[in-house]
Amino acid sequence: MYRGRLERDLKLWEVQGLIDAPTVGRLLKEYDSRPSSFSLGRVLMIIAALLVAAAVLLLVAANWDAIPRLVRLVGIVGLIWGAYLAGAVLITRGAERLAAAFLVFGTLAFGGAIALVGQMYHLSGDTFQATLVWFVGAVVAAALFRSGAVTAVAGFLAFVVSGADWTQSYSANETVLLWLMPLMAVIIILLVRYTGAARVRHLAYLLLVTWLAFIYSEYETPTTAIAIAAFGAVAYLLAAVPQSPLHAFARSAGAAPAFYSYLVLMVGLLVLHAEFDNVADRLFLGILTLMAAIAGIALSGKENGAVRYLGYGAFAAETLYLASETIGSIIGTSGFFLVSGLVVALIAWGVIALERRFSKAETKVEA
Amino acid sequence: MTISSFLRVPPLAAAIVAAALQTAVLGYMVESRASILRSGADIKLKTLPVDPRDLLRGDYVILSYPISTIPKDIVTGEIPKDSQQVRMSVRLKPGADGLWTASEASFGDLAPAEGSVVLRTLPFEYYSSVDNVLPDNIFVSYGIERYYVPEGEGKVLEDARNQEELEVEARVSKEGTPQIARLILKGEPIYDEPLY
Repeated sequence: MYRGRLERDLKLWEVQGLIDAPTVGRLLKEYDSRPSSFSLGRVLMIIAALLVAAAVLLLVAANWDAIPRLVRLVGIVGLIWGAYLAGAVLITRGAERLAAAFLVFGTLAFGGAIALVGQMYHLSGDTFQATLVWFVGAVVAAALFRSGAVTAVAGFLAFVVSGADWTQSYSANETVLLWLMPLMAVIIILLVRYTGAARVRHLAYLLLVTWLAFIYSEYETPTTAIAIAAFGAVAYLLAAVPQSPLHAFARSAGAAPAFYSYLVLMVGLLVLHAEFDNVADRLFLGILTLMAAIAGIALSGKENGAVRYLGYGAFAAETLYLASETIGSIIGTSGFFLVSGLVVALIAWGVIALERRFSKAETKVEA
Repeated sequence: MTISSFLRVPPLAAAIVAAALQTAVLGYMVESRASILRSGADIKLKTLPVDPRDLLRGDYVILSYPISTIPKDIVTGEIPKDSQQVRMSVRLKPGADGLWTASEASFGDLAPAEGSVVLRTLPFEYYSSVDNVLPDNIFVSYGIERYYVPEGEGKVLEDARNQEELEVEARVSKEGTPQIARLILKGEPIYDEPLY
């Protein structure tokens, strides 16, 4: 965790006499006071909300005969009202963290209520519809309360919707996901921007990457793979090139837009390796991949460690792949390992040299 | 405070709106069924034995009906030319024993007629064949194939169903959606369904 590294470094600097002890205290205090900083208490509170929600729903479901149906219905609706009202009261009193737990509980109770009502009233379950209604309920609650925690719940529910049991879904078939998944991702990103739950952004990006994989599974052709790679490349360039009109906007979302679009580009290229059969195509693809790897390191290497490491990885993997495809068959196994060793050593040398330049450039900027 | 205290719905209003909307969704689910039970047309259906391998999943009994199998002879009207998701309308008529059976089915709509009830099937995937003929039987579902029972009571119903002694009384809305109103075991009503 960053908090631990920060504290260690600050202590080290204190010992070396670079900063004094009160400053260390003040810096750590400032970090801890940030609303987005990791708090074990908050995480445990959310986990408690999840567990209590599960317990209540199981209790209601298990005591089938003991409780009359209408009482069960009123009870579960009462839970939803109670959780949201308690959350609202806690927010006005400034207890945002405890409030988040209640809001998460209320949103989960809503999902449980959908399942219980379906069961109690023998409504033949349409899984897709049920999960979609739950997702929409979570989105509405997240927006109304401006709650980051409920946004996270909505982010997970987007995956639940995408993974719905299609054999139990009558209102639609899985092709609706072709447009529904990106729509849900956009909704989550908008919620993230509105609520400030920056970490939830990763769920939305992962949803988009999953969506592209889903597209490929529906239309398994080289064209699809090329389109995915091209889309990744364009999105990455829009996010990473400083001249791009979207550059500032993407940077405001941190390192993630550049990284995930770069990931899509790499996934597209990887799939293309399986699609292309003849040597010329593969060689062209290899060179393209190497160029993409170098471009990523050169464009985002300094500011975006995630892209840089993905670039290194892609470069090394592609070099070895090309070596095995071209000279691997000529020189035999042991010779190939020798060449591989040399290639990896060369790449390592290049990486070390690059890393040194990056850190030098950083100190120059700071100076 | 942080920016988040601006541009925010007052928490209490947010709570009321969120809870009211979610309550409305649940209320709609309950009422959509209750309204069918209140004013739908009565039908009575025989149930069929089910492959014992997927008898009881959780606490519900799987019900299968003769009307779930549509023989191709009773299908009227246009047949879909391509494979696509379709729904069928199925006309039911009562027999001498009071049990309703399918007399006509169509991929389009069926006009209401005296003495019959039209059911709508759930959407299903229809695969057209090369020479565009129907398969001998089309298997459909209506959304009344599942009945939740108190834990441990499913076995009795399943045995009865497998001995063909279980009947289902359902009510059908004008749109053709059925809801189970009661189960009848050897002529005796069990599990009479209250509206709420």
